[in-house]
This record gives sequence, structure tokens and C-alpha cells, in this order.
Amino acid sequence: MKSIPETNLTAPHIHDWHTTSKAAWICSATLMPVVMASVLLYGMPAVSVWIASLIGAILAETLVAVALKKLSLSDGSSVLTSLLVACAIPPGAPFYIPVSASLFAILGIKTVFGGLGSNWMNPALGGIAFAYANWPNAMRRFMLPSGMVNIDGLSASTPLDVARNFNGTEASRVMDAFRTVGYPLSDIDITVTGFLNDSLFSHLGARLPEGYVDLIIGLKPGTLGESTLLAVLAGSIVLLAFNLIKLEIPLGMIVAFSILSRIFGTGLPGEELFGGDILFALSSGGFMLATFYMATDPVTSPVDHRLAGLYGLGIGALAFIFRRWGAHAEGIVYAILVMNILVPTVERKLMPGLKASERATVL
Amino acid sequence: MTNVRGFKRGGVSTVSRIHYHSEPIENAFLPMNALLLLRENQFSVEAKPVVSEGQEVKEGQLVARGYGKNSSHVHSPIPGIVRRIGKTVTPDGYETTSIVISLEGSFSVLGKRPERYLWRSLNKTDISHIIQDKGLMRVSTGEPLHQIISDCSKRDGIIIAVNALEMDQYRRVEEEIMLRRINDVVDACAIAARMVKPDRIVFMIDTDFPKAQIPVIMLAAAQTELEISVERFQRRFPQDLPRQIAIALGLKDDSSLCILEPSTLVVLHDAIVSNKPHIEQYVYIGGGAMKAPVILKARIGTTIGDLIEECGGFSGQPDRICINDPYRGLAAADLDVPLTRSTRAVLALTKHETKPASERPCNRCGNCLRACPEGLHPYLLNKLLLADKIEEAFAAGLGRCTFCGACAYTCWSRIPLVERFKSVCLKDKSR
Repeated sequence: MKSIPETNLTAPHIHDWHTTSKAAWICSATLMPVVMASVLLYGMPAVSVWIASLIGAILAETLVAVALKKLSLSDGSSVLTSLLVACAIPPGAPFYIPVSASLFAILGIKTVFGGLGSNWMNPALGGIAFAYANWPNAMRRFMLPSGMVNIDGLSASTPLDVARNFNGTEASRVMDAFRTVGYPLSDIDITVTGFLNDSLFSHLGARLPEGYVDLIIGLKPGTLGESTLLAVLAGSIVLLAFNLIKLEIPLGMIVAFSILSRIFGTGLPGEELFGGDILFALSSGGFMLATFYMATDPVTSPVDHRLAGLYGLGIGALAFIFRRWGAHAEGIVYAILVMNILVPTVERKLMPGLKASERATVL
Repeated sequence: MTNVRGFKRGGVSTVSRIHYHSEPIENAFLPMNALLLLRENQFSVEAKPVVSEGQEVKEGQLVARGYGKNSSHVHSPIPGIVRRIGKTVTPDGYETTSIVISLEGSFSVLGKRPERYLWRSLNKTDISHIIQDKGLMRVSTGEPLHQIISDCSKRDGIIIAVNALEMDQYRRVEEEIMLRRINDVVDACAIAARMVKPDRIVFMIDTDFPKAQIPVIMLAAAQTELEISVERFQRRFPQDLPRQIAIALGLKDDSSLCILEPSTLVVLHDAIVSNKPHIEQYVYIGGGAMKAPVILKARIGTTIGDLIEECGGFSGQPDRICINDPYRGLAAADLDVPLTRSTRAVLALTKHETKPASERPCNRCGNCLRACPEGLHPYLLNKLLLADKIEEAFAAGLGRCTFCGACAYTCWSRIPLVERFKSVCLKDKSR
């Protein structure tokens, strides 16, 4: 008869399959479609950013291991952080940007506050904000994906920048504005949109303008993560299926962001109130990636599911305000960071299940 | 009867179930040495031995007498000679007096046809005395049964809830008893009803319980003059907390509930009708490290090692052996732990089932909030306890924790939440 090993024999004796490190590794694995899509679109410049960011993470973990005498690379959170940092960096950026951004994310945001589970700010977003602050020009210098036609200088700016800087005559729709300034269209877009219009939308009496398919499959300049929306969505389905993220957060964000986008639009000259383009708002820029991968970080989001919905609504609204009226074309990073800061306060005021007096003393 | 009731808050749903091939329940071999613990759990009071070393005892003879509250008589499960009266540590870590009896001599219960007394001629006092004399225990909690019944008989409007719910993916004892000995269970309900005078009796069965059996229950119930109803419940863990059962049955609080399990009821039936003391117990022996799960009727005092051996030994390397509940139960430190009157299952769990991982800091995933059946905030309590803020933790509801283990089951970071809460609560009680 075999002997029983002496382990720590505390109840419960069986467990759910989730562990913190498994969650981080699965989350990293679901980013693989994004990695592959970016490599297909940009080639070596993309590869160098991914690798530089990973090197930053490994460097940071080595420093932590030497200083604190504990190795925490195996919990997967540093790798995930470095991948998310790289997602927000444009391809072809000099190698020191991703390296130092992920170094700062892991050392400056995570480790100094006590390591995994203790940081009050999402490390990846902290690293990204660090890169934005230090190299604002390099972080906004984009390159063309392969397969996109270059039209003198215009096409190397992101769709969001194009829409923002549009100063032509009347254009009530974003896509009309794009065609007016001569933003390039790919053959894939024309074929797919034509097929969809003929087979599906014509029966419904609707017509899809050209240009959206390019945005969704990534034929647009942008950062590594925001380029291919399809890859992001594929990964997010896995995250939801494995129950790794709180559904309330992306739901709240998309609802708030879509409604505000519909009402206030993108700021084109001829745009009407309630005439905004939701599809463009969601498919351009890094909103979707941040929604599923950055805002849902459990450490910096509310514990309770009901509060998580509120948190999502807050991020969605702030993201829209920052994008529409802010200094940057993309506001989602700062929207999430602001809400990260508010989480403890919101929990203290609104945490369900505790009486107000208890909340004040306990939380 | 067709609609399914459910518990509103928290819990872990245990949808998948280990396959169990239903076979007639066999008697386990008699142990060569029976180890009797005179104290059931941390709350009970030790019984005093009334035999001395070297004395010959018969099967079912009183060997230790219980005195006072939470104490019950202990009988010899086998005929033999008292070898040793000494000290042993119970699985939950409390020292207790124990009696070792070696098998010898002739049998008085085994192999004979069970006696059948006509219990209907007995009055309330007689039944109450028999329950106390035979050392009956509520199998789920290890409380003396006479205490529970006399408590309930003092109150009006009692509802007897027969809890046949199997909460986890392994155990089947209650369900098998309901399938095989339903008449005895209903008879025992009638006996209990004579004592308690309940308003009604509710059989709680879960959604996996064969539907075809419900008419059989109703048929058995029709032969008594009791008002018996059957309620179906969604499978989930935990389902045996009195307060939750009361809420699920639409009652205000649990003061009018008398919860008994089928396994307790058959023991009650055997004691009253067949004059048998509580020396036998239905045990489920299973888990991933066993070839196939088996239910045995085993004598108290048999070591779990003997039971596992009888079922064919381990087929895989067990990571830990747990007694009763995989969520709350105790871990057996070795295979010499004896079967007690509150043991319903022995589970040999492999690494594949225990899924051990190193403890990491809380990353606020929020699963414990959803799992807690009491609506507590386990992550917060843990945080407060780590910061040594015990008063604040009690203000946040630590006192309401039932140590069910649902939060620790779902915890991503494998934080031993229940263990931490339990140690603080026990310390607080002793303070």
C-alpha cells in the first residue's frame, strides 16, 4: 500500500482549476493571435518590439530575484504585463522604449508596491503612460502595414488622427470624410464590403460603406495591439469562456462608450448630434484591446461584480471624453488609470453587503 | 413537487458527478482490532469508560457511558477483549480517550435475523430512553440524537427536514439509502414524529435523484399518517446549513427546523425496531485514487486503511485522504484513523482532484464573494486578519462564517481562507 505524503492538510481538499498563474499564462496565450497578426502586418519591426518588451520583463524579474531573493517569473504576470505594454507601442519604435516601459511597469509600479496583488495601478498601463510621457513623438510615429497603399504622408497617421484633423468641407460621416481626403482603401475591403452589401445588407435595405473591413483586419497604421481587432476579439472570447475576466467591465465600457459616441460623434464639421459612428469609434484605436485585457485586470478593478459594472461605465465615459476633447487622439489609457485610482474610494462608499458604518471602519 | 427549489446566495455548483455503479450494499469485514474514540469532535464531551483492560465484551455491549450535554454512550462494535484504554488524537487534532477491542468470541448480532420490535406500542419516554441508551448520533454533525430530538420536542410547529441532498461530486450514501431503505427511513420519520410532533415532514432530494423514486417515497409515506412532501433542490454546495434550508423552504429562521439525514434515520430505525446500538455506519469509499467507488456497511472502529484495502487498495497515488466532505472534512494523517459514528465517506483524492498550488497573494478576482453562502467578503476578512485587525474582521461579519470552504475552493491564489477564519474564531471563543 502506498504511503500518504505529508502535505499541508487543510480543508478544502479539492479546488477549482483556476490559479493565479494559470490565469496569467492563459491570458498571455490569448494574446498570441494579436502577436501573429502584427508580425504578419509589420514584419521585423513588430518582432523587435515584442522581443524588446519581453527582455524588459525578464530583466526586471532578474533584478527582483536578485534584490528580494524570490523568483516570481513563473506566475506569468510579468510576461503578461510586458505583452500588454508592447501592445500599445507602435511597430518600429526604438528598442529602448519597450524595454524601459516594461521595466518601469514591473519594477516601478508592481514590485515597489509589494508585488502581484498589491499594486493600485495597472502595471501595463503605468508602463504605457511612462512611455507616452517620455517619448511622445516616437510613440505617435506609425508605419504602414504591408499591403496598404502609401499616399504621401497622409496614410501614416492613424484613422483617429485623420478623423480628428479633418478640416475639409461638410462631411457628416467619418467614412465620407476619409474618402474625401483620399484615405487609401484596400482590395480586400472593397471585395468583402461588396460581398456583404450584395448578399446581406441589400436585403435589409442598408449599405455598409467601404473602409470598416480595413479597420477590423488591421490595414491601418496603429500600435501593435490595436491593429487587428479580429485577433483581439478571438482572444477575448477565450478569456470569457475560461471565466478569467468579469464580463461586467467590458460590457459597461462598451455601453457607455457607444452611447456617448452616438450622441457626440467624432467631431467632424458637418456632424449632427446623435449622428456619431459607433462602429468607427469601437474599431479604430485601442479601445477594444484595453477593454478586454487592461481594464479587466482583477487587481486594480473592483472585487464586486456590481461595482465592476459601474467601473466599466466610468471608464467608457472617461475614455470617450478624453478621446473627443482631450489632447491625445487616444484616451483609454488615462481613462483606466483614473478609474484605477478611484477604485478604493468607490469600494469604501458603495461596497454592497456591508453597512455604511462598517464600510467606513473596515475598508 | 415538480418545480426545483434553490438556494439564493453563494455556493459552488457541483454539476459533474463521479459515476457510481449501484450495487447491493455489502457488509465490510469485521476489524481485527476496533479503535473506539470516546469523543466525536471538538464540541463533544468524552464518555467515561465502564470496562477495564482485559475484560471480555460482547457485541453491542456498553463500553463507555456518556455524561451530560454533548456526550453519548459508546458500544462495542465487535465481540472481543478490551486490549487497551489509552489516549489517541482525533483527526481534528483533539486528544481523546480511546478503547481498543480485539476480535474474539461469538457474535450476538451478526448472522442472526434482526429482531423486529413493534415500536408503535412504545411511548415517548421509552423511545427517548432507547435513543439515549443506544448511543445514537446525528451522522452529519456528530451531535447526540437524543439531545436534538428532546430540544425539538420542546418547541411547537417543528418541521422535520429529511436532508437527502448530496452536495459534492463524490458522495452517494444518502441517495443510496433513500433508494434501498426508503420504508425504514419513512418508519424512522414516524418514530421521530412521535417524539417531536412536527407540523409536516419535508424530504429534500436533489435534481440528480431518480424521479421514478418519488412515487415510491409517496407510497411509503401514505402508509403512515404523516404529512410528507418532497422538494427537489438544485445541486450545489453547501446545502446543509440550517439557516439556508429554512430560507429555501420559505421559513423565517431555522428555529423550527429539525434536520435529519437518511443515514441518521436508518440508525434510528435499527435502534428502535431491531434493538441495535449505533455500531454500524454506511460509508462511501471513493475518490480518484480508488478503482471504483463503493458503499460499505462498516463497523465503528474499523480503520480507514482496512476499508480501503477491502475495496481493492489504491489504484493511484493519493495526494490526501479526506474524511466526509471534500470541502470541509478532515484530512486523515494516516490510514489508522478509525471510522466514527459521524463518518459518511472516505475519499482518497489524487493530485488531479486536489489541484495543489502554491499560495499567492490575493489578486481580487472576486470569486470568494460570489461563493460565500452567507454573503460575506472573504477576501476582505483575510486582508483584515493578515493585518491583525480582528475586531474589524468581526465587525465585517467574521462571526457569521460557517467554515463551509466554498470561498477557499474557488480561490485562485489558494489562500487557506477557511483555516485562517477558523483559527481566529476558535481563539476568540476561548478568550
